[in-house]
Amino acid sequence: MNEERKIILKGEKVYPGRVEGQALVSKMPLMGWLNVDAEKGVITERNHPLKGISFKGKILVFPGPRGSGGFVSFGRSKFYGQNPAAFVYTKGNNLTIFAAMEAKVPAITNLDQDPTEVIETGDWVVVDADLGIVEITKK
Amino acid sequence: MYLTDEEKSMLNGDHGEIKQRCMQFLVDYGEVAGAEHLIDLDGNVDLHPPYGNWLGDYDVSYEEVVELAEIGEKFKVPTFANKAVNPGMIVDGWEKIDLEPFTNPEFRMKQEEMMKPYMKMGMVPILSCNYYLVSSYTPTVGQHCAWVESSAIPWGNAVLGARTNFDGCFQTAYLGKVPAYDMHLDENRKATVLVEYMDELKTDMDYDLFGWAVGEMVGLEVPALIGVGKPTTSQLVKMNTSLNTGGQVRMYHVPGLTPEAPTLEAAFSGNYQRKIQLGRDDLRKIYDKMNYASNDQVDFVYLGCPHYNIEEILKVARLVDGKKLKATMWITTNPSSYKVAKDMGLIEIIEKAGGNVLSGTCPGILGKLPPSTVMATDAAKQNYYINGIYQDLHVWYGTTEDCVESAIKGVWQGEWK
Repeated sequence: MNEERKIILKGEKVYPGRVEGQALVSKMPLMGWLNVDAEKGVITERNHPLKGISFKGKILVFPGPRGSGGFVSFGRSKFYGQNPAAFVYTKGNNLTIFAAMEAKVPAITNLDQDPTEVIETGDWVVVDADLGIVEITKK
Repeated sequence: MYLTDEEKSMLNGDHGEIKQRCMQFLVDYGEVAGAEHLIDLDGNVDLHPPYGNWLGDYDVSYEEVVELAEIGEKFKVPTFANKAVNPGMIVDGWEKIDLEPFTNPEFRMKQEEMMKPYMKMGMVPILSCNYYLVSSYTPTVGQHCAWVESSAIPWGNAVLGARTNFDGCFQTAYLGKVPAYDMHLDENRKATVLVEYMDELKTDMDYDLFGWAVGEMVGLEVPALIGVGKPTTSQLVKMNTSLNTGGQVRMYHVPGLTPEAPTLEAAFSGNYQRKIQLGRDDLRKIYDKMNYASNDQVDFVYLGCPHYNIEEILKVARLVDGKKLKATMWITTNPSSYKVAKDMGLIEIIEKAGGNVLSGTCPGILGKLPPSTVMATDAAKQNYYINGIYQDLHVWYGTTEDCVESAIKGVWQGEWK
């Protein structure tokens, strides 16, 4: 048994920096505006698997954004000390960029494997945006 | 990222501290986006005034905008106001409802005051999410813009053939520049996925549900849509809204209808990857997702997301003419259409029935509803978002006719047809 199984994904830097922490993974895209509460650092979308779970300090792994420009509230959560430690996502646009710029946390996209398939909630993840690498230690 | 000498000098602070900060935002944004250079906008900007809480440390404060307006600074390109946010503002109809603090005269006076420096800099106070229907000035094919708001982005890119990301803000309007990124570049505008609708889209609601279903399936991809018939303006607005709410469709093609796709081949230009077929069953699934009420005693009916156009107001006025509503009913529209509706006597008809027409805002933007426990709406977007702040609210979704009938009877009247 290999208990310390490490997986490395390669991707593109969106926002620089290196951080490590526990993953919080959503297979469903994240929606902003009224469906995220920046002050509490939680998703409020009624159908969302992560509804009500704090993303504070987590490596937030998701397929991409959907909906309103209010997506930036994921970055705005920084103002309330509730922000994720990093963003790891399959495909984004300028809304995910703005969220990372506002939170000033590492962000990586366009990875060589689907991060929402490879990473599970609770895995220990190192995000090194400068090197474009995500290193996963399975829980 | 390459910068011209003038851009460099702005970044160095030769044109003042605020221009420097705006340029720093564009440079940081461009670098992160991997843009090779900045583009001078030749279209227009759509932004949410008064500026607030969108870009963190890059924000230009209201006080700074006042200062710029006072020394005669102008927006570099034609600039239009989407809905006011932080705080929201009810432009017309506020005297007829009670919704603190928005209906407090002092609060309102302050809000109107806050618009003035923006207008002095050239912002046109259309104050609507569908400003593109009423601004009397829209971009032509290929023009570079910086817009905001989910329904507006695909309208700009797909319907008008202009080029915009979701970055309409003070900075882009003041400098008239954006990074050369994403929707500004030819290669990102081609269709990759063919979406074929196998049944017939008939009602306005069909287009709303179809947009949502496609959005969920394609996310950020650019679809080419076939089998969508000849949508009316109301239907096209609904489809755009749902495409970019249920998913993140910023650009799409309808061969023969949208300007960048004279043919299906032109829509793909060799980038075809896959095909999706969907039909009425897929619309039904979204309809069921939008109906999350169990109590049928409707006490609030909300219509007007995106803002109703004049034909939609006329339709509701005809439905309620001579009737008495049991539920509270709000219709939201843009200030321009409100005036026309007033001139036509439509506001009076709706108010006589007990309804309210409000301009310049919506419940989501205000973050507040009249006291209610069961809401009905004909808009998937507002339906899906409102629960984020009203977790206990029961929400019904259906056609405009179903919603109006429910307002008259005070009991939900909708069913899948």
